[in-house]
Amino acid sequence: MVALSLLLSLSALASLVLAPSRAALDIPWLLLGTRIVLDDTGRTFLGFSALVWFVTALYARAYLRSDSRRSVFGAFFLATQAGHLGVCIAGDAVSFYFFFALMTFAAYGLVIHSGKPEAHRAANVYLAMALLGEALLAAGMMMASHAAGSLLLADIVRTPLPTAAITLLIAGFGIKVGVPLLHMWLPLAHPVAPVPASAVLSGLILKAGLIGWLRLLPLGNEAWPVAGTVLMIAGFAGMFLGIAFGVGQRDVKVLLAYSSVSQMGFLSLGVGAGLAQPSAWPGLLPAVTFYALHHALGKSALFLGVGVAQAYGARPWVFAGLALPALALAGAPGTSGLLAKWTLKTALDLSWPWPSVLAWLLPLAALGTTLLMARLLWLVSLKKAHAVSPSGLALPWLALVPSGVALPWWISPHGTATGVTTAEAMFAASAPLAVGAVIVWWVIRRGIRPWAPPPGDMLSLLHNNKEART
Amino acid sequence: MTTNEWLPLALLASSLLPGLLIFVLPERRIALRTTLNLAGAGTKLVLVGVLLRGVASGKEYSARFAVLPGLDLALKADALGLLFVSLSAVLWLFTTLYAIGYLEGSPCRSRFFGFFSLCVTATVGIAMASNLFTFFIFYELLTMSTFPLVVHRGTDKAMKGGRVYLAYTLSGGTVLLAGIVWLHHLLGHTEFAHTGIVAALAGENAGQLKAIFLLLMTGVGVKAAIVPLHGWLPQAMVAPAPVSALLHAVAVVKAGAFGIVRIVYDIYGIELAASLGLLAPLAAFASLTIVWGSVRALYQDDLKKRLAFSTVSQVSYIALGVALFGPIGTIGGLIHLVHQGIMKITLFFCAGNYAETLGIHKVSEMGGAGHRMPLTTLAFSIAALGLIGVPATAGFVSKWYLGQGALAAGLPWVLAVLAASSLLNAAYFLPVLYRAWFLPPPAAWPEGNILPRGSRETTLLLLLPPLFTAGLTLLAGMLAMTEFSPLAWARLITSREYQTWSP
Repeated sequence: MVALSLLLSLSALASLVLAPSRAALDIPWLLLGTRIVLDDTGRTFLGFSALVWFVTALYARAYLRSDSRRSVFGAFFLATQAGHLGVCIAGDAVSFYFFFALMTFAAYGLVIHSGKPEAHRAANVYLAMALLGEALLAAGMMMASHAAGSLLLADIVRTPLPTAAITLLIAGFGIKVGVPLLHMWLPLAHPVAPVPASAVLSGLILKAGLIGWLRLLPLGNEAWPVAGTVLMIAGFAGMFLGIAFGVGQRDVKVLLAYSSVSQMGFLSLGVGAGLAQPSAWPGLLPAVTFYALHHALGKSALFLGVGVAQAYGARPWVFAGLALPALALAGAPGTSGLLAKWTLKTALDLSWPWPSVLAWLLPLAALGTTLLMARLLWLVSLKKAHAVSPSGLALPWLALVPSGVALPWWISPHGTATGVTTAEAMFAASAPLAVGAVIVWWVIRRGIRPWAPPPGDMLSLLHNNKEART
Repeated sequence: MTTNEWLPLALLASSLLPGLLIFVLPERRIALRTTLNLAGAGTKLVLVGVLLRGVASGKEYSARFAVLPGLDLALKADALGLLFVSLSAVLWLFTTLYAIGYLEGSPCRSRFFGFFSLCVTATVGIAMASNLFTFFIFYELLTMSTFPLVVHRGTDKAMKGGRVYLAYTLSGGTVLLAGIVWLHHLLGHTEFAHTGIVAALAGENAGQLKAIFLLLMTGVGVKAAIVPLHGWLPQAMVAPAPVSALLHAVAVVKAGAFGIVRIVYDIYGIELAASLGLLAPLAAFASLTIVWGSVRALYQDDLKKRLAFSTVSQVSYIALGVALFGPIGTIGGLIHLVHQGIMKITLFFCAGNYAETLGIHKVSEMGGAGHRMPLTTLAFSIAALGLIGVPATAGFVSKWYLGQGALAAGLPWVLAVLAASSLLNAAYFLPVLYRAWFLPPPAAWPEGNILPRGSRETTLLLLLPPLFTAGLTLLAGMLAMTEFSPLAWARLITSREYQTWSP
């Protein structure tokens, strides 16, 4: 199974090299008429996804070596991967929906893998929300392709869609993206899944929802001020909700899951802005894609690193390997994170009142992320090595970390790399970090234990209330 | 007699003759009985192949016998009829194989297979009837030949279920007959024809036509298990598994659904039915049935009962497709006639396998069944996901066309019905899959009848049919655009029912 996973990733990477740009392939007899496309956006997503799948497959082989049910995991892993890579290249609504569903249902097997009661519970929540998403998407896609009179995604994005279709598509993909109120499955599923599964869940599968938005919403073609604004507000809410709920967590993987909710908020913000203001979209599309790449590489490196720390303890090289992506996520100077944030901020060329809102809230979000990452590193520093640590974990991880650092600089959108190296940019990026450092120092000195809601926050509250009443 | 007249009759005879011969066979002539059954099923498949080729190229096959002056027993193999005939012929073969395995060593097998063949003969007759009178004859023959199958086990529970079944279907038949007689009186004949036959009466007799429509729909609605006429179906699941499989997938409920299709398209004509305002109530009842059946299925712990309520829900997709005015909706309804058949028969085969092999009858006993019977559970999973409407299965194609048809007909609320139905389907099927695959097996199965032999989880005759039909479920979903798919045939039918539309 691992060999097949690796082969699939390699062939995806090979297709990037070999296929001509804007390649399209029609398979009229498959499904309701399948089209495969490799446009610029798809290439980027396919590229970083294949890389992360490749590394994670190698990691999973080592991680599950002594697991008697590893072949079951391998099968679900392979199916999830096939679905996810398919989402990157699907060019028509039906095959997109097929790949998306394949990924969603197969990932259930990853979440439930450990077989513990909490895994069963988390997997059930995951499945219930995923099914709701699938149902919303099915209705939204039917409406969209009816309005377009075509199954091709290229035709759908050019078509004025009814409000109901837009709403269904935003919400349906929003469940995957982890938009606030639709995010509850995320902090439940991540800690119970095996580490490599969490890495692809956070790093890649959340991004499939983003690809859905990019592929089906009329971005850059039609203005949807209300829907766009709602999505932007949801993006901000996600950013800060993820920080507030995540910062006190004691389980590193729960913390990372909330960090993903927070980071995906930046992407919702970008897509919402493009929806509200089509003129900004040509600049936003590469920025959003780039941010997705940065987060995918950084977050999967963090998850895999947490697994390494569990095995080897917080040794210096482990700590350093975790600190790099953590700093990148916080947007420290010189990291891919700063590049990504800078690109996104520049592209958010919006009308009043957004510039002042952004000027206040984005540094605040950066501060929050800094605190999250500081907490993460602190939690990791407490880890003791396992008596028997599986061999072969470190190598794939250590390969991923530098590519997360270097790759974004290599493929960054044209001209941005010079912008972030100015002294002014460096200073702006350092400020949240410095404030964060002060807060961390103060918290540690006073011995404050931060507040931590139970994973799945609102869902658990509902659950507890029900139990209290009965 | 020309070939064109001879072929429809041969199609009937291919199951009627083996059936009659089997009745007089002694119980122990197993080999001969099996040969007769399989020879009949094989012959029927070959004949269906010949007819499909002919009809696709525009040929007509019909035979006619005068019973009374003005009242003919008439058969015709047209595109719509052949859709149903093909489904019956293919699934009859699988069900026969399955039944041979299932009933191995049990008593009264000659009686069983005799009525089984009669039941298929009646189904084929319904499909090929070319007027309402003929339709009615075979429709009642179906009732008569299925009753002994439902009560086959002869237990008190079976007899009770059988009585309920008979009470419902005979009442339905009576109402149907009343409608047919009334229409015959008005029109002088009831011959099916593309785009309908009653358009000329619509001017002054619109009220009567509506009343007749209500009678006819009530008559066929009983077998199609439209709420509130569905009460017999969950009772009839006391029948042995192969009978349930055939009843739910091909014979009885499909005959009802097929009747709805015939009456709307070939008696009233879809355009007249729309202008008389008959489609909206039909869509409403179909939607109600879809949701109600699913909700009831949620609460059934008995696996077969859960499947039975699921049938109530799923068969109404066909009626819904008919009620959506426009070619896309029609295609959706017609393909579901086939798709629901292959998916639901798979589920009943699997339910039978669980019961025969492990003694599992209830959803709550399903824990770990997937570890003991992986292939059966795989087939079950494919069919269940299909009914939920997961892409790359037959069920998705049905739902897609129904949804598109609803939008084309200007009824976007139908999408909500479809989405709700998908979620409800998931809510009653996924817990079954969850238990089977992800819970540990119990220390002992309720009643282990068939021991595993090597890697074979149960007998081959029980295992192969569900695997085949599950494979068909996937093929119909993945290769829907090829020219041999149910979708392609449904397009052909639709192009003949809507004269101004080409696919």
